[in-house]
Amino acid sequence: MTQATITIEDIPASLQGTVAKLVKFVGQLDESNVDEKAKTIYALIEQNPKNLLLLFDFEGLEYMNSKSIGYLTDWYGKLTEGGGKIVIAKAKSNILDILQVVGLTQLINCYPTADEAKFALLQPTATN
Amino acid sequence: MENTPQPTVESLETKPMKITITLPTNAYFISGIRDFTLGLIKNMTEFSEQWAFRFQSVVDELCNNAIEHGSMPGQEIKITFINVPHESIEIIVEDTGTGKVKFSAAELQKLVNERRNPNYVHTGIRGRGLSKIVAEWTDELEFKDIQGSGMQVRIKKFLQDPKLKEMSNFLESPTHLVLQ
Repeated sequence: MTQATITIEDIPASLQGTVAKLVKFVGQLDESNVDEKAKTIYALIEQNPKNLLLLFDFEGLEYMNSKSIGYLTDWYGKLTEGGGKIVIAKAKSNILDILQVVGLTQLINCYPTADEAKFALLQPTATN
Repeated sequence: MENTPQPTVESLETKPMKITITLPTNAYFISGIRDFTLGLIKNMTEFSEQWAFRFQSVVDELCNNAIEHGSMPGQEIKITFINVPHESIEIIVEDTGTGKVKFSAAELQKLVNERRNPNYVHTGIRGRGLSKIVAEWTDELEFKDIQGSGMQVRIKKFLQDPKLKEMSNFLESPTHLVLQ
């Protein structure tokens, strides 16, 4: 199985009624591990079905395949349905390239730094 | 061996290079093929680093497709790289046609065409590999049934965009007036 780790930390100073988490991805997400790794995010969504704000830190993510992009789209759908939000920070150029070619950058905003992503994530929207 | 002609730098630079790799049908081996593809494109072709990463994804998606639909566990898939210096890279992935959800070349082509339609909405986890990644990042994508066996998927990417060539022919055409 290809090496990949997902770690989750709390983001303090969340908006009232929301839960914000920093999710760090390290390694490569491919056919050999993505189904297993995706369970971590589904569990997080299940624990926080409403107003969950996720900052995906992709600094350590070296590769993602089409199935992992499919999961990302599914998480986006589930989160926005519950009034939540996903933003991406520090993605490498090859990761941004693949997100762009499948059209995901039109759904999920990507930021070069964690601070910019955090600022955007914690901005109140019409739903929270 | 003194009289054996040695390849010159010039012949190496102009001669097509063909490499074939056979892999067991197991996703475990695919990360090695990704690394190989990245190194090959970066070091042995004239494509940029960005394209090396793109081909890494293209090869990964083609191999996963062959493992999932083409060859049952315990069998093999074959990957061939053909680099034509100053011109193109061609990648061919072949399976044995024994996979659990078998598609014919025509069925797969139809599926990709449907999913390439700008109005097509991808809703599931799967289905973006061939239509959104492989098709977008290649100039030619061809599916072919291998008689009595599986399928061959062939992609080709030219160093120069073929559309640019067509456009430059058009601009040079004596039958058209080009407004500056």
